Amino acid sequence: MSAFSPLDPLLHSQLRLAVMSLLIGLDEAEFTFLKGQTQSTAGNLSVQLDKLEKAGYIEVTKSFRGKRPLTTCKITQEGVSAFESYVENLKKYIE
Amino acid sequence: MEKELTSKESLELITQMISKAKKTAGGDGGFQMLLWGWAVSLCNFGHYILAKLEYDAPYVVWTALIPVVGVSIWHGFKKPRQTGVRTHLDSVLNQLWLMVFIGIIIVLAFMSQLNFYQNPVILILASIGVFTTGAMVKEKLIKFGGVFLMVAALISFFMPITEQYLVAGIAIVIGYLVPGYTLKKG
Repeated sequence: MSAFSPLDPLLHSQLRLAVMSLLIGLDEAEFTFLKGQTQSTAGNLSVQLDKLEKAGYIEVTKSFRGKRPLTTCKITQEGVSAFESYVENLKKYIE
Repeated sequence: MEKELTSKESLELITQMISKAKKTAGGDGGFQMLLWGWAVSLCNFGHYILAKLEYDAPYVVWTALIPVVGVSIWHGFKKPRQTGVRTHLDSVLNQLWLMVFIGIIIVLAFMSQLNFYQNPVILILASIGVFTTGAMVKEKLIKFGGVFLMVAALISFFMPITEQYLVAGIAIVIGYLVPGYTLKKG
């Protein structure tokens, strides 16, 4: 019997899933890019990125471009695996 | 609190975001192809014309490429700053063309050992670069450009050295500029 495994709660959230789906196809993306594409607020996005980073799904690097702070995000190998098993699980729910 | 996602909504969101990321990553609108296409074809035609006019040093036209290298590198660095993303495709393409470029420099450095048959060899290197680029960005016309350059390389081997510049100039117009303008339109 194929049991329904629960969907990863960390990914089963609109904004976090959107961020992970964007990052899966990119080497890295800037905070402003993620904010624009997901149409989220800076505050909410920061909180969600923090959760993903703590889980080890993404790597957040803070640096400077000229005098302005620059935040870039990158998916980790662990994040890729988590995303893949989330999609696999999702398929079972839909079938 | 945000609302609970259904499986279907999840899947839609994933698909939508992946296609957004893809769109952003969609190349540079053919800028590099147009830049190099114009520069190299004009230098080839220039060299051919000067050689036919029996000018002593027709190769001086190639110094025009020095600023082009600068513009090309500057544009390559600027792109991720504009879009806010860096993609694996961009980085693979940059590495491919860097190696093609190094190959061309080596061929130019040893052109006397090649009996000045460097043009066909350069066309072969460019052909591999263009064809592979076409395969990676999934554009048939760019792949066609690559094939055309390879055919031109073959033809060049049968031509006298001065005429090779004319063949290379025409090959680059068709192999670079035609696909470049198509990318720009699309």
